[in-house]
Amino acid sequence: MALWAPAGRVGETALVSLAPESTLRVLREPLSRRAVREVGYLLLAGPLTVIGLVYAVVSLAVGAALAVTALGIPLISWAVPGVRWFGSLRRRATNGLLGDDIPPPDPFRPPPGFLARVSAGLRDRTGWRAIGFLLLAVPLAFAGLYVVLVTWVWGLVAFTYPVAAAFGQDRPPVLFGWVITGAGSAFALWLLGAALLLVAPWAVRAFLLLDRQLVRSLLGGGPGAAERIRDLERSRAYAIEDVAATLRRIERDLHDGVQARMVALAMNLTMLNETLGPDASDESRRMLTAALGHAKDGIAELRHMVGGIHPPALDAGLATALDTLAARSPIPVTVHGVLPSRPTEAIETIAYFSVAELLTNVTRHSGADHATVELAESDGKLVVTVTDNGHGGASTDGSGTGLRGLTERVGTVDGRLDVDSPTGGPTVITVELPLHT
Amino acid sequence: MRIVIAEDSAILREGLAQLLTLRGHEVVAAVVDATALVDAVAEHHPDVAVIDIRMPPTHTDEGLRAALRLRRADSTLGVLLFSQYVETSFVRELLADGSSGVGYLLKERVTDLDEFTSALDRVAAGGTALDPEVVTQLFGSRRDPGLATLTPREREVLALMAEGRTNAAIARTLVVTERAIEKHVANIFSKLGLSASDGAHRRVLSVLRYLDGR
Repeated sequence: MALWAPAGRVGETALVSLAPESTLRVLREPLSRRAVREVGYLLLAGPLTVIGLVYAVVSLAVGAALAVTALGIPLISWAVPGVRWFGSLRRRATNGLLGDDIPPPDPFRPPPGFLARVSAGLRDRTGWRAIGFLLLAVPLAFAGLYVVLVTWVWGLVAFTYPVAAAFGQDRPPVLFGWVITGAGSAFALWLLGAALLLVAPWAVRAFLLLDRQLVRSLLGGGPGAAERIRDLERSRAYAIEDVAATLRRIERDLHDGVQARMVALAMNLTMLNETLGPDASDESRRMLTAALGHAKDGIAELRHMVGGIHPPALDAGLATALDTLAARSPIPVTVHGVLPSRPTEAIETIAYFSVAELLTNVTRHSGADHATVELAESDGKLVVTVTDNGHGGASTDGSGTGLRGLTERVGTVDGRLDVDSPTGGPTVITVELPLHT
Repeated sequence: MRIVIAEDSAILREGLAQLLTLRGHEVVAAVVDATALVDAVAEHHPDVAVIDIRMPPTHTDEGLRAALRLRRADSTLGVLLFSQYVETSFVRELLADGSSGVGYLLKERVTDLDEFTSALDRVAAGGTALDPEVVTQLFGSRRDPGLATLTPREREVLALMAEGRTNAAIARTLVVTERAIEKHVANIFSKLGLSASDGAHRRVLSVLRYLDGR
């Protein structure tokens, strides 16, 4: 009781305040956009379904009739996946007009080879399900049209009868075998029409529940599709983070392992050089000098290589790494902005290499003498903007600028790359990345 | 010279200690992380601390943080950052409080022991020692019309100035008289439009600021 009491009070006040509003809503519903779309859907779905069924029946019948020849079976194997097209059209009509989000079935991917293609076509479950759908949906479509007729059409006729009568339409309408005569009856008819029109959208909507259920269960990608997308997103995020973590681990291992050993080797050679007695031959000194040179070159090469795998400065944060990157750029680059939180490793790496590529582009193609890199976080997204004062004209379809490749790379984490580069400049390229994969 | 080493890699820590001892320096402590470094400096009051930038626990920039802290506590302590990478942003941070008694060198520079010990001496004496790679990066990143007017020899002198060397040292390296270097320096300053400032640190800073384009 105690639990219910407050809820009851809330309910009462809500009822009082909602009552006029919900009444208004019921009165307005026949005029709503949704009601119109639903009727439109029924009017569209009927013919579409009939055409689809005719296609399926005719092609299957022809295939069956030709079954004794070599043509029949292949024809059927082509016809079955072909029905998918009508299924997809119907599914999209449902999604588009009724606002459903029924996922598409997996696409038909026949294996190479004629026989394999025929066999896959005959066993195409999605195609057969679409045929099953058409068989059920045709009677349903007629039923739907009947619902529209009974509610909308009769409702409109009855509702407008007094007006029609006033304009001299003297043939009395016949509804349910009831001939309308006299003013009283006309009023009753008008009331009936009004009632039918008020009920019409709800009746159509209730009927559509059946249709939508059928579309979902027979034309949808099955209950697995949405879940599979989630699984794929999860495993993709894992793969991307795993690669980033692996690269970072390799960098650390190199730093603490091979690189440290190489430096130690160089130190030992240096010590050897220091302690070499005065009686050492020139030959040995030369060899030692050469060994030291190789060690130094090896260390420098390794350093450059590791910088391309995972820039060590990234461990200290994106801003630090970008600062160093900017300092290395041949044209002056200003970096500003702070991030309130650190994105994940993979995102930082993608952002870093994107900026590296964009700055290379600026240097090579833009003719700019200054560039700006701006870091920001907005709406839970990392936004990196690279601006230059060059001559503009950059685009993602241009070859050689690498912008397309960059778009792809940013896309691996559902990021976006926007290019605003009017001829004459300036160029503003915005990379938007999620903070987490 | 009394030196404290902070380096997490055992082979490098020992190697460096051996090398410095070989050159007659006294390594008073060789520690593995920043916390131990701060304690060792407090205990031994060394002339210079040679500090690896990446140390435990996070292996990012502990060494730099510790160096900045130590410098703020005692501005007479020389700190030489020792790393496998040149991070320009770290260089900027290190120089933000002035350039006296600080250095940043790549680890492989120990292979030229004379250069390395002279860098240490500079840092201990309140001078500057920047890795040639730092200077190369800054050089590579500047496309200033002023730079193009420098003669090859003047560019050489500019690079050595940026590394933190005195005129005498530059003269020794290039095997010319100190007088000749002074003339080069004057030319460089007038070509780049820098005011010829007094004192070695100010000179390093103004050259670096110019190269950095800030």
